[in-house]
Amino acid sequence: MQFGIFSVGDVTTDPTTGRTPDDTERVRAMLTIAEHADAAGLDVFATGEHHNPPFVPSSPTTMLGYLAGRTRNIVLSTATTLITTNDPVRLAEEYAMLQVIADGRMDLMMGRGNTGPVYPWFGKDIRQGIGLAIENYALLRRLWEEDVVDWSGKFRTPLQGFTSTPRPLDGVAPFVWHGSIRSPEIAEQAAYYGDGFLHNAIFWPMEHTAQMVNFYRQRYEHHGHGRADQAIVGLGGQVFMRKNSQDAWHEFRPYFDNAPVYGHGPSMEDFTRETPLTVGSPQQVIDRYGAFWEQVGHYQRQLFLIDHAGLPLKTVLEQIDMLAEDVVPVLRREAESRRPADVPANPPSHAERVAAARAAGKAPATGRAPEGDRWTGRTAEDDTALTA
Amino acid sequence: MPSRSLVVVSGGLSQPSSTRMLADRLAEATVADLAARGIDTVVEVVELRGLAHDVVDMTLTGYARPDLAAAQSALAGADGVVAVTPVFAASYAGLFKSFVDVLDPEALRDTPVLLGATGGTARHSLALEHAVRPLFAYLHADVVPTSVFAATDDWADAGTDDVKPLPARIARAAAELARRVAAREPVQRGGLYDGVPSFEDLLGG
Repeated sequence: MQFGIFSVGDVTTDPTTGRTPDDTERVRAMLTIAEHADAAGLDVFATGEHHNPPFVPSSPTTMLGYLAGRTRNIVLSTATTLITTNDPVRLAEEYAMLQVIADGRMDLMMGRGNTGPVYPWFGKDIRQGIGLAIENYALLRRLWEEDVVDWSGKFRTPLQGFTSTPRPLDGVAPFVWHGSIRSPEIAEQAAYYGDGFLHNAIFWPMEHTAQMVNFYRQRYEHHGHGRADQAIVGLGGQVFMRKNSQDAWHEFRPYFDNAPVYGHGPSMEDFTRETPLTVGSPQQVIDRYGAFWEQVGHYQRQLFLIDHAGLPLKTVLEQIDMLAEDVVPVLRREAESRRPADVPANPPSHAERVAAARAAGKAPATGRAPEGDRWTGRTAEDDTALTA
Repeated sequence: MPSRSLVVVSGGLSQPSSTRMLADRLAEATVADLAARGIDTVVEVVELRGLAHDVVDMTLTGYARPDLAAAQSALAGADGVVAVTPVFAASYAGLFKSFVDVLDPEALRDTPVLLGATGGTARHSLALEHAVRPLFAYLHADVVPTSVFAATDDWADAGTDDVKPLPARIARAAAELARRVAAREPVQRGGLYDGVPSFEDLLGG
């Protein structure tokens, strides 16, 4: 089972000091956090994608490309990549480029985005959100899987003889997750393709999360990708830890009370009881998160939100250390000890996907040049031949 | 005996509350009318006073805490609804509106609804027609023609109201609601995701 962190990249005033980082400082903090998570031995770092203040991560592949060069083991991902407002042609290109640069040590998560005004900024209509998610993703997959694509649809200009470059590493597309909280259509989409499904449970009671996950599992089996319990599931979560539980409550409360997402709403007592937010000792986090499998089955990825609400960088790095040293080894051992042998331990790695594709005869045994589109060709001679 | 569910929403803020009193009268009259038609009714009361913090929390966080979630799901599964608000500043109470704001916009589509309101004097009575009824029209609820406003004087009236005393207005409105509830098939409370289209349909659409 993989454990990692995901960031929304919010710029928020620290309520205890009144200090607000600027965008530059926040971007650099995210890079530091990711590198620290890699060094500490966490499995995943995922960045959100946002195009409006107070969020900074507008360009995930730039950030993840840098991190691919600076880190060694950690899987680089997104949480989420906007499948609605991004052109699928750009997504195919950018994430294939990242896949090559990261040597396969990446995946990505699709989401529709929850900020209405973003749609028109990118020339899209929010009322078409589900339709955009479905059509854009269907095109994105074709661009990765087929060298030359003829395509027409409702939401973008047609493609004729188009080849997205670079071609995916080893001829195998990156592994894709679909993130959704409330839309069963997206769980259905993930199940249809046999992709991963991540439920960001952080504002929801676990019963709701379990309903969505189990719906995805049933549909995964229905679409013939394996048994329901073999589907690839991830959960979001959030924690704040100190060795002594009371210290954690005392230190985190001003951040909770003023957080843009839940501040001035439910009390921290209510919110921690009703949602996966866990404030306390590492053992309390182990107890809480070690029990989620009872409601959703064995799952493959647990992401934690830890760098939000104005928490200072130093505190975030301490949280990473506590996760990596005190929490994750125990949770990983427990998950492994109860996992049925034929249920995947982790989401599929690039190497596993390549091996599976080759076994199915769907990927070349070795590298090769793609078949070029006939307008630009592969070489200057092709162009000459074309115009002759 | 077939059974239907009647959910009663009371937006009264004081305890005891004349809004709750009117809501109970409307519910009792509806249940009696349905019983006369051979229909058994299960009544569930949603007191917004007890949900006030949950409603505000949901406007801030977007998720319903357990008690509010239970109320929302009761409404979504109701065969009929009685909704009563006090009139504040010539319109529905803010809490009543906030409760509607955090309701799924589809929750009351086609649901028979009886509207009621309470206020100090009869001069507020048209608030039901110019404020509350349009709100429920937005929700595409099936609102019965008679809505019931009870002013302070109505509770003391011995049936001498020149136009129509409160008990007669309650009886007429309840009969309209009961007739609509009885005429419909009971709401099917299926699985949460029963209506999700298959991906083949989504792709084809």
